[in-house]
Parts: sequence; C-alpha cells; structure tokens
Amino acid sequence: MVKHPKESEKHTKRGSAMGEFKVHRVRFFEYMPSGIRALAFNQQNERMAAAKMDGSVEIFHCSDRFFQEKIIPGRQQAGIEGLSWVGERLFSAGLNGVITEYDLTNQRVKYTIDAYGGPIWAITGNQQGTHLAVGCEDGTVKLFEVNEDKIQFERNLDRQKGRIISLSWHPSGSKIAAGMMDMIQVFNVETGHSIHRILVDRGFGTSRGKECVVWSVVYLSDGTIISGDSVGMVKLWRDDTGTLIKSHNITKSDVLSLSVSQNEDSIVAGTSEGFVVQFQFLSMVLENNDKDWVRTRTFRNHTHDVRAVAEITTAVASGGMDTQLVVRPFLDKHEVKSSASKLRKIQFPHRSLVSCARKAGTLLFQYPGHLELWRLGESEGEGIPGSSLLLKRKPEKLLHLKVKGEDHIRCSAVSSCGEWIAYSTTSSLRLYKLHCDSNNVSITKISKLPKVLGSASQLCFSSDSSHLFSASTQSSVHMVSLSQSECKFVATFKTKSGSHQAIHLLTASEDGKWLASANIDNEVHIYNLQTRKAHCTVPIYSSAVSAMAIHPTTNCLFMVHADQQIFEFSIEQKEYTDWSRLVQRQGLHKIWLERDTPCLNVTFNQKNPSHVILHDMYMFCIIDQSQPLPDSKSQFLNQLTLRSLPEEQRKSYSHAFKVCKTFKELLCVDVMCDQSLVVVERPLEDITAQLPAPIKQKKFAT
Amino acid sequence: MAASFFLPPPMALVCLSSIFVQSCWYLKWRAPYNVCAKIRLCTFTETDKMSDLTQTQFESSDDELPEEVAFDASKQAALKSVKDALVSAKREKNLLKEKRRKRQQLFQEQKKRKRLPEDLLEEFDTETQKQTEVTDNNKDEEETNTSETISKSLPENYTVIRLKDESASNSLQQSAVDFIQSRFYGPRTHRTTNAELLSLNKKRGANKGAAVQFANKKWAVDVKANVAKTNKRFMHKEKLIPT
Repeated sequence: MVKHPKESEKHTKRGSAMGEFKVHRVRFFEYMPSGIRALAFNQQNERMAAAKMDGSVEIFHCSDRFFQEKIIPGRQQAGIEGLSWVGERLFSAGLNGVITEYDLTNQRVKYTIDAYGGPIWAITGNQQGTHLAVGCEDGTVKLFEVNEDKIQFERNLDRQKGRIISLSWHPSGSKIAAGMMDMIQVFNVETGHSIHRILVDRGFGTSRGKECVVWSVVYLSDGTIISGDSVGMVKLWRDDTGTLIKSHNITKSDVLSLSVSQNEDSIVAGTSEGFVVQFQFLSMVLENNDKDWVRTRTFRNHTHDVRAVAEITTAVASGGMDTQLVVRPFLDKHEVKSSASKLRKIQFPHRSLVSCARKAGTLLFQYPGHLELWRLGESEGEGIPGSSLLLKRKPEKLLHLKVKGEDHIRCSAVSSCGEWIAYSTTSSLRLYKLHCDSNNVSITKISKLPKVLGSASQLCFSSDSSHLFSASTQSSVHMVSLSQSECKFVATFKTKSGSHQAIHLLTASEDGKWLASANIDNEVHIYNLQTRKAHCTVPIYSSAVSAMAIHPTTNCLFMVHADQQIFEFSIEQKEYTDWSRLVQRQGLHKIWLERDTPCLNVTFNQKNPSHVILHDMYMFCIIDQSQPLPDSKSQFLNQLTLRSLPEEQRKSYSHAFKVCKTFKELLCVDVMCDQSLVVVERPLEDITAQLPAPIKQKKFAT
Repeated sequence: MAASFFLPPPMALVCLSSIFVQSCWYLKWRAPYNVCAKIRLCTFTETDKMSDLTQTQFESSDDELPEEVAFDASKQAALKSVKDALVSAKREKNLLKEKRRKRQQLFQEQKKRKRLPEDLLEEFDTETQKQTEVTDNNKDEEETNTSETISKSLPENYTVIRLKDESASNSLQQSAVDFIQSRFYGPRTHRTTNAELLSLNKKRGANKGAAVQFANKKWAVDVKANVAKTNKRFMHKEKLIPT
C-alpha cells in the first residue's frame, strides 16, 4: 500500500441536544492488527486462545461476550505455528524451533524449550493430558512428557523423509496421524513405527507439478482420519487399511485448517478463499442408522485466508489473515435469541492503545515495537454543528520512541501534563521525561528506577503527574513518586484476598486521593492514597470490567462491564449510588445491551458534571445522569429525531443516553482540558489496504 | 542386402517421409518406443509406404519374377553408400573439431591479453610455493598422517562466516518461512489485490460506488501522480494550455 499523508485531521463541530463540542478527528494512528495463526479452545474453563502472526497470544473468555481477558505480547521476528492446551496450561510452538509455555496468571512466557528438530510446524496434546507431540521440519515427531512444572523430552517416533506439517492424536492416545508433503503417516505411539503410509493425490492440471501439502489432519475415535490439503480436498481415510473412504472437493485453493467438535459429529474446514465449510455426521434418511459425513453449511465471513478454525460447543470460531476473529453460532443449537446466538466479529483489541495528555493536548499511540507522541492541531473560528473547520496548525509528530530489545510493548501511559512517558514490556519498565520547547523536543531516560518496578501489566499517572502507579504481579500496585529527574519508591498496595491474576485497568482520581484497580478475576479494589492503605472492594460482578474511571467531583467510580452493564460506586460512602441502583432496577435498554463491542474508555466533562462519555468501536455516547433513563418502549437512538423537533418538544422525548454514530471504528474518545473531544478513528478499509493479498474469487457480474 | 522389418500389424509407424529405401541408411522413421524393430534394408527401388509392405510381400517370390539385378552391382552400391556416409560423418566431425580448436585459441589469446606480464606471475608463483612448503613442513611435523597438502584456498562452494553472524537455526527458519511464502503467495497461486477486493465489494454492494483507487484519495497515489504528470506533459506538448 502506498503511504498516505499521515497528518489527516479534521475538526468538526458536533451538536448534541445540550452541548457543542469541537471534535479533533484523528486518523493518523496507523494501527495494524496482525493475522490470526492458530486457535485453541479449552473446554473446561471455556477460554479460547488465539495466536497471532506477530507472536502474541490472546485469551478470550467465551461465556463473557468473548472479552479479551489476557494479552501476552510477542517479540520481534517471532511466529507461532501451533497452540495447544494441556489441562489449564497453554503451550505453543513456532518456526524458531522452541516450545513455549505461558504463565497465564502474569501474562508472560514461563519458559521455552528447544526441540532440536528445526522449525516446528505442529503441536498437539493427547486427550489424557500426559504427552505433547510436536512435528518438526526434519521429519521427526517428538514426544514430550508433561510434568508438573516443566515438559521433558521423552523420545522420537520414527524419522520420516519430509517435513511434518500437521499432527493429530487418536483420542485413545495410542496412535498419531501426521500430515506431511504428499502423504499421511499413521504412527503407533508405543513402538514409534509407522503403521500406514497413505499417499495423498496431487490433483490434476497445474497442481500436478506442486507437492500436495496436507495442511491439517483430524483423527476420530472410530479410526477415521480426515485430512485437508492444498489441492482443496477434504478426504476421509480408514486407518485400518489405509484407504480412502470419500473425498470432498470444497475449494479451488487450499484447505488450511480443520477442527472437530467434542462429540465428533461435526467438522469445520477453513479454506484459503475465506469461507468455512461444515461437515456433519448425519444419515441421509431421517432416523436411519447409516450415517455418513455430509457437507452441510458454508460460512462466508472472511475475505482472506482462514488459517485457524475451532469448534466451540455451540459455535465455530474462525480467524485468519484478515485479522478478525469471527464467532458464528450454530443456530440449531440455540433456542432463544440471546447474545450467545449472535454473529460476533472481534477486530480491535479490548485494551486502549491511545493515551491522552489532557492538559498538554498530546496523544500517545502504542504500537507493538514503538511509541509515537503527536501534538494535536489547532483550528480557528466557529462553525455550525456538523461542519469541518480549517486547520490553522497541522498535527505534528513529536516523538518516535523505539523499544529497546525484542519484546513488544505491553502497556504505556503519558502523564496529563505531557512530560512523562512510561511503557512496559514483559521484562522491563522504562520511564522517560520529555522536554518540550517551542521547537525542540528532547527526552531523557530515567535510568535509576526502584528495583521493585519490574514489568507492569498496566500503568497510570496521577492527575497532577507527581506519581506513577504500576500494576505488577499478584495483583499488587506499586506507587512511585516522580520528581525532576528521578523516581523514588513510595508504597505498594496489596490485596487481602488471594487473587493473583494480573490487573488490566488502573485509574486514579482527579484530586489524588483514590486509586482503583480491576483484575481479570472481576475484582475491583480501591486504595486510599493518603493513608496508603486499601479502602474497600466493589462487590464482584460476573462479567469483567472493560472500562472504569473516577468522577472528578463526586469521586464515584463509574464502571462498564463486558456485558454492557453499568455500575456507579461511591468511594466515600462505600456503596452503589442511587443512580446506579435506578439503572439496575429499571434495566438498560435492549439496544444498549445488544451492542457487540465493549466500551473501552470512560471520561467526564468538566463543564457539565452530570455527563459521562463512553465509547465502543462503532459509537460514542454521552450519558446525562440528570435526565430520565430510556424505557424499553422508547426510541433509543433518538438524536436525529430530536434535532428535527422544535425546542419545546425535545424535553419530553429526550433521555439520558445520547449516542452518536458519526465516527466509525473508534479506537479512543477522550476529552481534553479545553473541552474539545478527541476521536481516534481507524477505518477498516485502511486496515484492509495493508493486508496480504487475497485469493481471486470469480463473482457473478464482475 | 535384403532387409525387412518386423512389426506387429496393428501398430502404426510414424513415417516421416516416403523414401526410397535403398538410398537411406539412417532411421528416418520412428517406431513406437516399446516396439523392437529389427530393420533390414530393402532391395526394392520403389516403395511408397513402408507400412504397406509386409513380410510376405518381401519374401513371396512365387507369383512374380523379381527384377534381374546383379548381385555385385547392388553390393557395390550399398558399400558405396556406407562409405559415403562414413566419410561425410568424419568430415563433419573434423569441421566441428576445427571450430572448437579455433575458439579455444581465441579464448587463450584473450586470456593472455588480460593477464599480467609473465615475469610478475612467476614471482608470485615462487612465493606461494615457498609458503606452502613451509606450512607443509609444519603440518608434517604435527600430524604424521596428512597426505594431502592443505591449500590456502577453500574448495569451490565454501565460505567462512562467524558463528554468531548466522546460525544454522536461522537459516532453517528462513527456509521454512520461504516455503510458506511460496505456497501461499508464490507464482502459481491465484491472488489478487486488496484494492480489487474492496472495489468489487463496492460494485456489488447496496450502494454502488467507484473503485477504491478513484473514490479514495489515499489509494494508488503514485499512479495518480504519474498520470497527472503525463497529462501535464501531453497538454504542454499539444499546446492545449493557452500561454
């Protein structure tokens, strides 16, 4: 894709029913997600792990609206080829030849083991949870024993000529099917010898010259082996004779991934063209006993190659090079129309990648390998709502800060005054002081950090930029004070309860008295910064907190959860506020609850203390706490109708939720000190422009 | 010499030309590869299609009187043709040989022109010999079993690199990445561009629109710049802009 001018910003004026804002419309955050390479579903704790092309692993909670609970950042030039759950532990293997185990509590890599077989193409664990098998480039299948603390190499199966691309254990654990180039080998695990060598056809025509790659295999308990190869065929084989039962040609390009359901009655195959095909084990005549694998459904939810599919009990999750994770429920398994029966597309991460320095008017963008600090532009004059204003001064990039080392950035923050920047990788934390003259920008690194500060899972500056809060292991928060050029340790806040999960949200109050932290176990703790002790804990709600903030004047903690519920907790009174109880009694509107992307940021309006500004990927909303809540029958998205009504009638129709859908694909919405809104957009078209090439599909009338 | 050939009747011969059998010695037609053709020259002067002739025709002399041809004459003719063939083959070989020799000479001369003067080369040669002799002596003292001299230069396809610059695993990983890249985006895959994907969606969508390269300013910027430049040049050339 050709580079477009980075500085594209428009100022528009938005008029809501009660206020006008100058909006900085920012499109120069060139956020580029990376494609999904592997998916693994854990049945026991209902978590889905997704491995991305840049080496990061994301864990989604399938029952909590697929909220992205954990993100384990990757490294430069690291790739993952396979993921496997063994019980509650997660293992991955990549082309660098190492097997990695992840520490999911602290969201980092626990250890790596070199398999000494060259690049690893496949990793899979047996159903008994005792062994891990990896398929390597040199043609060996290596067995590793899974011990309590580590894995240990046990033995190799017979070495083959050719690389092993895919593996699948028989549910009994006695046999392994390995997909290689032009063939499938079935191994007896105990002896290590190959039982069958099944030759896969190369196809006809031009594909005769290329080797047929068996991209994925699935071994069923009745001895059927199902393979997807690069010719576009899904083939079923018998493992006792090593012969072909049936072959289905589903695409002209490759079949890249296969996944079988828990009770082995449904298989999904992901193709290079972007569609997902389902096969079900049915009989052609109802209630007959002669069942067979029949192609039933086709899901066309992707535009690029689908490199990973996983069957969750009632849905199929697919991900590929178009970077979206699509969860498509099987409608025959859902009786009631609920949030679980909706098609879900997860595109943006569920963490905020943009920090705003409110007083300084600068934005910090977090990329995997570097940080960028931009100053917003200025416009002049006034205009009517909805118009674009001319820029007097264009936005400019002040700083491009590259990460030292190979790790990717985990979290970053900029202080409100714009002078302090902090970021953390999984191994270290760095703090910089920024000096900004009229023309020059220089930074100095604060080298002597307190030893307590290792890596942080979340960072937050206090509102007066005097302290930095860093969330570290075991749900504890470290507080350090910042002075001209040095940083001193002040206190550590620990929780009394035993949760060790990492904290993913931190927020400090405007007056510097309170600090709130939220972790993955849905615990929200509030600490008193003056006494340096824990103050109280918010009652645990069943869904994870996706955004929270403390109100500047009333000191109420406003929380939005992944299931779109809203709570307001008064810190000083240690109880929910009346408004929050009203919301819970009356219930939120259906349209609000049906939104499928979580709110990522909560801010407040200094001019009007009853306003709360939230945003998710497709809309931003101003909640006016002084106005009545919408009841289920009233029109929820009523901004346009209100504008058409005369002034007197507006009051009777308006309600608390004012939703604006003008700006699309929002990454961040924040309010600056001069009462202007900053809206950071990332149009999906711009992301698509930089994706790798898709397969050419012939469509009718083109 | 009488000749005949055996062929199973249903097999067809690829007959490249209809030839007079007596004048040809080379196999100008090709039998299918799995047929052993035992070829014997035919003494008849005219044969239109060899495939028409069968063994019985050759050897049946009961019905007709054969032509009276003196044995010696035909023998002479056959021998002569063989000799001619041999002579011409030899001549061709010699011609080629001459050509090759001349070329070789030309190359030698060119090489001579490029090389340094003889005396300098001799000097270098003696020096290297001395060095190898010294090392040989050292090596002989250390290892008694070395029979070959260790030359200063490495065999042809070997280079020396440091371990930390490039490790074996890196190159293996790179080859694996290249394999994936070639299977996915290699020459024979049917890939198109993202611009085309988005433009086709727009064309078939509910609100039909132009292709993204035209509708969006950010796409295909350099192509548009090129087009603008050529347009400007054209207008200037054709003097369409009034000066």
